[in-house]
Amino acid sequence: MAVSVARLAVFSPVDSTARVDLVVRRLTDAIALGLVADGEQLPSEVELAGRLGVSTVTVREALMALRQQGLVETRRGRGGGSFARAPSEFDMTERLGALAVDELRDLGDHYAAIAGAAARLAAQRSLPSDIAPLWRSLDEMAAAESSAHLRRLDGRFHIEVAAASQSARLTREEIRLQADIGPLLWLSREDLEGHDETAAQHRAIAEAIGAGDADRARTLAERHVLDATDHLIELRLRLRE
Amino acid sequence: MITRSDTVLSDSAPPGARPAATAVTATSATSAATAVSVAGVLARVRDTAEEVFTALGDVRAATAGRARAVRRNGRGLASDDLAALRPLLFGHLGAIIAGIGFIAAPGLLADAPWYLEWWQENPTGTPVQLLRDLDPSSSAFYDYTHWDWYTGPESGVERTICGPYVDYLCTDEYSLTLSVPVTLDGVFLGVAAADVFVRRFQAAVVPALRDVPVPALLVNTQGRVVASNTARWIAGSVYRGAEGFAVRPVPGLPLSLVEGTGR
Repeated sequence: MAVSVARLAVFSPVDSTARVDLVVRRLTDAIALGLVADGEQLPSEVELAGRLGVSTVTVREALMALRQQGLVETRRGRGGGSFARAPSEFDMTERLGALAVDELRDLGDHYAAIAGAAARLAAQRSLPSDIAPLWRSLDEMAAAESSAHLRRLDGRFHIEVAAASQSARLTREEIRLQADIGPLLWLSREDLEGHDETAAQHRAIAEAIGAGDADRARTLAERHVLDATDHLIELRLRLRE
Repeated sequence: MITRSDTVLSDSAPPGARPAATAVTATSATSAATAVSVAGVLARVRDTAEEVFTALGDVRAATAGRARAVRRNGRGLASDDLAALRPLLFGHLGAIIAGIGFIAAPGLLADAPWYLEWWQENPTGTPVQLLRDLDPSSSAFYDYTHWDWYTGPESGVERTICGPYVDYLCTDEYSLTLSVPVTLDGVFLGVAAADVFVRRFQAAVVPALRDVPVPALLVNTQGRVVASNTARWIAGSVYRGAEGFAVRPVPGLPLSLVEGTGR
């Protein structure tokens, strides 16, 4: 039975429209939040396809959609390519409205599991040279002057925590989940508790990892994700359909 | 390739290291068998690392040669000049090396303050250039001068081995980065570096480790395990010193071999 169910999943049709939408969503978030800076050149279609694990046709369709939204500008000739165009404002309502409450909960659960496991392993396995980058990121966050810069450093901090676990798979999941729900969680935290509280949570996570306190590191990392998810769900419930 | 990680200095040893001599003075038959197999491990590790450092020696010579030729023509080195390295870089990809290139010291090139001439192997066979946002004011990641594979060579260390670490910026693989300084007339130009996936390095050295009749692990100078013949310490875990184990540096490399002494 289990085998046949697994086979059903294997041979179920791959939805190419969903793939295009996913690529569009990721790039939209990245550009809207300044992870890809205004005017920055995007990787080539071939490289994007390789990095995202989709076909170049999918990438091309996604870029076309982004061009229509004004988020990407394509120039031809030498020095040409696709360039990011920052929009005036990230539309959180629209982005949140696209996700159902149970999807948000599920994304939060998945992310908390990954972030918690990564922090626990990081506390067990990291050496001082793994901890140093965490503190450098937190110091840079304390000095960051723009929200986009702060957001980029926040992403980097969490990826550094995951990498300190020495698990490539957990790190890949962290990166993927950041792309899927990171922007919303970030905005939720800004709304919920502001930067000071977020910074305090980051420091507590880094301290627990540095002290080798695996249980505490896991609990703190899970809470960091789940508190923001709870707030997102509150916001989502208040949205008019 | 890009990491916070463990830069390790040649011939230094991890915490808890004891002089190698204490590990190799035993005279019983078992110890003799151990000594033979340990010599096999050291040879295998040396050969594997040597293959990579020889490639890096080529990259270093070609880069410095290019820089000298351009200077002779009375102009500054530019990113286009480094394209001449490509046939050489491509030739080294594929066996044990997954990525290789030259990382310019900031300000070296006339047309780009930050630059990597960095190529990675690719399942389809055609090498792929790593293109990243290298402007530290817009990227959270790409100030590469912080990473130990850069600071090691920059501070004059001849052979640096970073990792194992999760290379989340290039390949998402568990990797080692080996690097050497590139200089011209004593001036630091940048770093020649290569990425080696840990699983490939292990494929090269674990058969030799398996022949060692006691628990044995290869560690970097901080004690991070690179390869072993025991599930107690596998790649990624940390050897923090243990009763009944002795540490011997691997000659000429920033690595050590830890062996159970049976005592």
